[in-house]
Parts: sequence; C-alpha cells; structure tokens
Amino acid sequence: MSKTRSRRVVFQPATYQGLQRGINQMTDAVRPTLGPRPRIVAIDRILDDKMPEMLDNGGIIVRRIIQLADRDEDVGAMLVRDVLWTLHDQVGDGTASAAVLLQSVFNGGVRYLASGGNASGLKQHLEQGMRLILEELTGKSRAVSGAEQLSQVARSICYDASMAKLLGEIFDIIGEYGRLEIRPGRSRQDEREYVEGLYWDRGLVSREMVTDAGRQRTEFENGAILISNLEIEQPQQLFPALEMALRQEVRSLLIVANKFSEAAIGFLLANRRPDKFQVIAVKTPGYGEQEQAWAMEDLAVLSGGRPFVKSAGDSFAAIRAEHLGQARRVWADRRNFGIIGGKGDPRALRQHIASLRAAHEQAEEVVLRDKLLQRIGKLLGGSATLWVGGATELEIEERQEVAKRTAAAMRGAIMEGVVPGGGVALLDCQPVLQERLEQSQEADARAAYRILLEAMEAPMRTIAANAGFDPSQVMAHVKLAGPGHGFDVGSGQVVDMAEAGILDASAVQKAAVYAAIASAGLALSVDVLVHGKEQSSPASAKTPGKRKRL
Amino acid sequence: MMCAESQLQEIVYDLAVSPDFEEDGLCFAARASGLYRSEDGGRSWQDAYASLELSAALTTSVVVVSPGFETDRSVFAGVPGGVLRSADAGQSWQVASFPPPAPFVSSLVISPNYARDGTLFVGTLEDGVFRSGDRGTHWAAWNFGLLDLNVLALGVSPDYGRDETLFAGTESGIFRSSNGGRAWREVDFDSGWAPVLSLALSPGYAEDGTLFAGSETHGLLRTQDEGATWQRLAEEPLSGALNSITLAPDFAERGEVLVLHEDGLWVTRDGGQTWTVWPSREAMAAGVASLATPRGLAPGAPLLVGLMDGSVLHI
Repeated sequence: MSKTRSRRVVFQPATYQGLQRGINQMTDAVRPTLGPRPRIVAIDRILDDKMPEMLDNGGIIVRRIIQLADRDEDVGAMLVRDVLWTLHDQVGDGTASAAVLLQSVFNGGVRYLASGGNASGLKQHLEQGMRLILEELTGKSRAVSGAEQLSQVARSICYDASMAKLLGEIFDIIGEYGRLEIRPGRSRQDEREYVEGLYWDRGLVSREMVTDAGRQRTEFENGAILISNLEIEQPQQLFPALEMALRQEVRSLLIVANKFSEAAIGFLLANRRPDKFQVIAVKTPGYGEQEQAWAMEDLAVLSGGRPFVKSAGDSFAAIRAEHLGQARRVWADRRNFGIIGGKGDPRALRQHIASLRAAHEQAEEVVLRDKLLQRIGKLLGGSATLWVGGATELEIEERQEVAKRTAAAMRGAIMEGVVPGGGVALLDCQPVLQERLEQSQEADARAAYRILLEAMEAPMRTIAANAGFDPSQVMAHVKLAGPGHGFDVGSGQVVDMAEAGILDASAVQKAAVYAAIASAGLALSVDVLVHGKEQSSPASAKTPGKRKRL
Repeated sequence: MMCAESQLQEIVYDLAVSPDFEEDGLCFAARASGLYRSEDGGRSWQDAYASLELSAALTTSVVVVSPGFETDRSVFAGVPGGVLRSADAGQSWQVASFPPPAPFVSSLVISPNYARDGTLFVGTLEDGVFRSGDRGTHWAAWNFGLLDLNVLALGVSPDYGRDETLFAGTESGIFRSSNGGRAWREVDFDSGWAPVLSLALSPGYAEDGTLFAGSETHGLLRTQDEGATWQRLAEEPLSGALNSITLAPDFAERGEVLVLHEDGLWVTRDGGQTWTVWPSREAMAAGVASLATPRGLAPGAPLLVGLMDGSVLHI
C-alpha cells in the first residue's frame, strides 16, 4: 500500500512556526550532550530489535534522525542536521554548542520578526555580529604546546582522562599534521605505538619473498626502489630494470608496480640471490589513478627516484641508475611496505610538504582535506597508533568514535590555539557586542546584537543545566567573577578556566559560531516552504536509506 | 704553550676536557685512529681504547664528557655505528650499537640535566637523531618531523631540564625539538644559508632566546628570538665554513664568542660587533680542526686546539 502527497506551499506565519518546531526538536535532541556531564540520548534501532543505541555525541545523534513526521518541521530539523553533520566532519566537535547557539539565534530572530522586524536587515546585522565574535575569539586564542597542555585540551573535549593523556602525548609528537591511526584495542587499557619511517598499505605480492619467517617480513639496508604503476604481464618487461640493477651492483631492490602476473613473480623469485641480490615486489599504493599518482609522487620525493607512469606511456626500457630511489632501510610484510631514511633531496621534500600544507589550508572538500592530511602525515617520517581499549566491543567502538573526534579537534587546537572552555570564550564576547549595541541606532542592528548577546550565554547555561545546576544562579556567579571565569561542573565552583585547564579548541568554537549564526540567519530569511511529491510505503519504511521518524 | 704530536698524522676531529682540567689535566682527543687520553694537559697521549684490544683502528668522530664528570667519570665517544661509553674516565668501555645500517656519528650532546635524566643525543649523517634516556645504554631513532636526516650539528638548551629544547643543524636547515627530541619542527631558517655545520645556544637561552648557527657557506648567523628570525653576523671576515662555535659561560655579560672559521680561530668580545684572529700563529699555520675551552674565553684562560696535522696545542 502506498500514498502520494501532492505539492504543498506553506506561507508565513506557518513557515517560521514549522521551522521553529523542527529546529527546536532537533536541538533538544542534542542539547543533553553538551558539557562534561552529558546525558544520554537513546535511539531506537531501525533495522533490528536490538537494544537502543545510547549516544552522547551530537554529531552522531543527528545522523540517526533522518526524518520528522511533520514536513514543515522536517525542513527545520534537516537544516540543523546538515549544519551539525558538516561541523562534525570538519572539526570533530562543537555540534551541541552550535545547536544551542543556532536555536537561540533563530528563536530570538523569530520573536523580533513577529513584532515587525525586517528579516533581510536582521540577517545582515547578525552576520556583522558574527564577524565580531570570530575576531574576538581569534584575539583570545592562545597557542597550545607540550604534552601536558595538549592533554588538558583533549580532556576538555573527550572527558576521558586516560584517552586524553595519551592523545596529549601523541599530538605533542606528531603535531597537527601527523599521522594517527585509531584502532580497536586488544585490552581494557588504551595503548599507543609509534612507528619510525613511513609505510603504505600494500604488502609483498608473494609470501615466497618473505626472508624473515619469524616476523613474516623482509627488511634490507640501503635498498633501491623502482617506483611505477605499470602492469607487469611478461617477465621481459622487467629485464631492463634487473639488468641495470645488476650492472650497477644494486644489492637490494624493491619494485613497485600496479600488477605483477604470476609469470613475473616467478621470474623475480627465480632471480634472487640471497648473498648478492635481493628483490621484492609490492603493488602501487592507492586506489585509482589519482591516488596512485600521489603515492608515486610522495615516494619519488622521499627516495629521490623517478616514477614510471603507465598513462604517460613509460616502460623500463630506458631505465637508468638515477631513476631508482634509495633508502637506508626498506621493509615489507604481507600487508604493508615502508621505507626509513629516504635519500631524496631534503630541500625538495620540505618544499613538497609545504605545498601540500598550502593545498590543505585551501581545500574545502572534506575528502580532499583528509587525503592531503594523510599524505603530509606520512611524509613527516613517523606515525602513531592509538589502540582504544574497553570492556566490551560496543564500548571500544564508542570510545574509538570519541577518540576520532577528539583527534580532529586537537589538530584544530594546535593550528589555531585554544580559548577558555565551558562556554566562557563566548560569554566573554558579550562586552564587544554590548558596545556595538549601544552604538547602533537601527532597529534591526539593535535586535541582532541583543539576540547575539543572549545567544552567547546559551552554551554555558546548557552545560550547567545538564550537570544539574541552576543556570541562572551559575550565570550570576560567573558574571560576578569576571572575564576568563566560568563554571567547573566537576567541582561546582567558579574558576579561572584557563588556569583550571578547561579549554576549547579555538577552531572548533569559531566553526560552531560560524555554522550556527550563518545558518540561523539563513533560516530566518526563509519565507515560503514548498514541499515536493514523495511516495512512502509502510512496507519499505525500514529499509536502509529511508528516513527515520522521531 | 705546549705542543704534542700524535702517533699518527691525522686530523683531530674533536677534543673534550675534564671540568677539573686545570687540576687533573685530563683530556681526550678523537681521531681517525681512535680515541686518545691525556692526564697531563695534552703533553702525552695514550690509546684510550687499549682495554678493548681492538684489531683495527676505530675511527672516533666525537667525544664528550658528562656534566657531572667529577662524580660519575662518564665519557662518551661516537664511532661508526654506535657510541662507546666509559664510567671510569676512559679506562674501560661499553659498546652501544645502533640498528644497522651503521650510521656515521657527526655530533653527540648530553643533557645539562644528565645527572637526573641520563639523556644523550647523537646526530648522524644519514639517519637523523638517536636518543638515549638511560645514560647511553640503549638508543632509539627519534626522527618524527625531522625532514632532513643529514644531521651535522646538535645544540642543547642549557635549561633542558625545564624546556626540553634542542636544535639540529642539517644539510638543508635547522630543526627544533621542544619535547626532548621526541619530535622535531622546522625552524624558519633560509635554506640558502644551509648546510648548518655548528650550533651553540646562549647560556642564558631561556631569557635571551639566543642561538648561533655556523653555516658552510654563509659564516655565522644568530637568532635572538628562539629561531623566529635570523641575522647574519660579520659577513667579513666570517664568510666561509664555520665549523665550531663556543660561547663564554658568562656570554650574557661579556659577549665573548670563539669560532672556528675555515681552519682558523676568531674571537669577539663585544657580542659579535668586532672580530679578531686568535693570537696564535702556530695554530693558524697548521690549520685548526677542533678546540676545547676548559675555563671559558676570558683572556688568559686555557685553550686546547686540535690541528689538521694531528697535534694538539695547549695554549
């Protein structure tokens, strides 16, 4: 059985009313997760009858809420969902703060517009106020360094002392661009591991190439590297490379190519001379031509070799000794291969990394940014792995997710510094907004600054309420204590937040402010809703990809 | 002035002296043929590796003594592939090897807080920096962020116990670690000035942020803001390779700096404004390869100079 909805047009005041209900519902679903004492949001599972998911992360919660029953409300809810999802992907944290800010600004705006204000003017002044806040946050940011400070930042994000300690140490070593893998642990404890050099997830093409049977690994010193994405179908394709290597008295050679036929592998195995010539082979890292090109470029810069590229029509026919890369140590096992001490030109390597950093700063697409980050992390010459522990598989999974978002926020903290946490940085933006309010004559401007003044309190009020304190009383005490002071829900005291080590990543705060105010302004400028046709069928309501009703 | 010819005509790569040199006259000279030990201020030299009964010469590129030598009697010598350590002032030695392939040790520095932290660092020509936290027994490569593994010089902060800061001079520039050598970051240093052959941090680095760097082609460079900006000093006469920099212990007050430029010694006593040739014709004629300053740079203080011809002068 199915039903068909016809197109429906919604005008004011129903537009604002619908949007407001949707924004409030979505925000209220996320609100309990803000602060060091979050409350749990239980989400019924769609596909099975297992226990509901117990979540305390706004970025994850909004992903689970995929449709509200009322279509007017749904538009508002999906606006919040998209904002928080994007925020979570980009900076890893700040979703609940953004939600309560967005809600406060939107609701304040609706009240003002209902009394006859101008939506366009209000939006414009909200954006001006937003820029003021962002400037204030930038001005209040201070650099963070050292394992201890970084652990404090991590603790303010993940509220997990064990994880925060290790993440502080790890980021002190790897820095904002370093390579960190977060994997499910093997015990209840969190553990970390550092790997020297760099490696790619491509292993030996044949187990016969393993020379250290105990470790299932092959390792050699002062190895040469032949970099390519060629497809080696016939052993004859390898002749020029091997002849040149033997002529040049190369003792150890790693061949990287996109494909090795059985015949080619057999040929390589047959030509090994344990005492004179070692040769191993791995496939070109990366999926697809672009990723392979990146991997080959990075390998070439690191080792000083020249890549042989299939699409350029390259072959090994004219290979010369200087085309081979070199490294102090080369290793490979069945899953990975790596090099330590690549002998490429260090100046070229530094320039290459600088250009990747510049590209990372300019890249807007999340996937591209991640790829660039991975490449830079590899090239820095080492990597860290955090093994996340837990008592159950579910706990490990949840803590792994927390570690990932904390790590993302910490990269931002190192890049852009930190501000006092617990909503204090936003509260401390009030004086500049108050000053601008007093200078403004225009009604829309005055309304915008009043709305923002109120919104700047929303995160701290929410944190206090979530922890079981009276937000109004907390606000009164905090304001009395002055700038930089906030409420430590752990001790129930008003403290200097920076001194107490309660810090937020400036990048996260700024991203949350930008996302919330810009989106609220956009929502306030919506006048008409037009719903398209949609077919729904109870029979298919639980299939993957369908939106879930709240 | 004393002059002692070594058994072999070879460059004296490095010199180290006991903190109590004027009393005990104990000093060490690192040469291609090994490490030599003197107990009479450099008049006579003995093979410091005699107890090892080596069948071949063990080239020694660097030698340092512990800051707490008077009590711990520790000496460290950099050799191909590892470090030798002695706990009895160079009479007997223990070997600590690095993972293969054997690195060439270019520099060796000890934490000023060695008595407590037991930390040493070794710079190598192709394998970056190795670190030991247990008085030289075990070593591990810590090269995260060190994008140039050709390390030519290391400099450690006098306040290392608090700031855990050290610098590495490399083929392409300078790197800094602020966490005890566990990770490195690039210093904003013009790569055109590299390679960096020598480094020296001011004794008051924590307050004045001053670090000197000796370049292969651009003489002496100085930062006074922990590496954020650099100035080139004394373009004339210091225009070539600057192999060694020594700051007086009271550098902040007296501004005395002694440098080994090309194969001669130059000194400034006004923080780098004016430079004069070290007043030893003999030293200049033979070509200086290394030096040690047991009691700073004040006029009249003793100076040990290792020469290109293998002899050591005690001035």
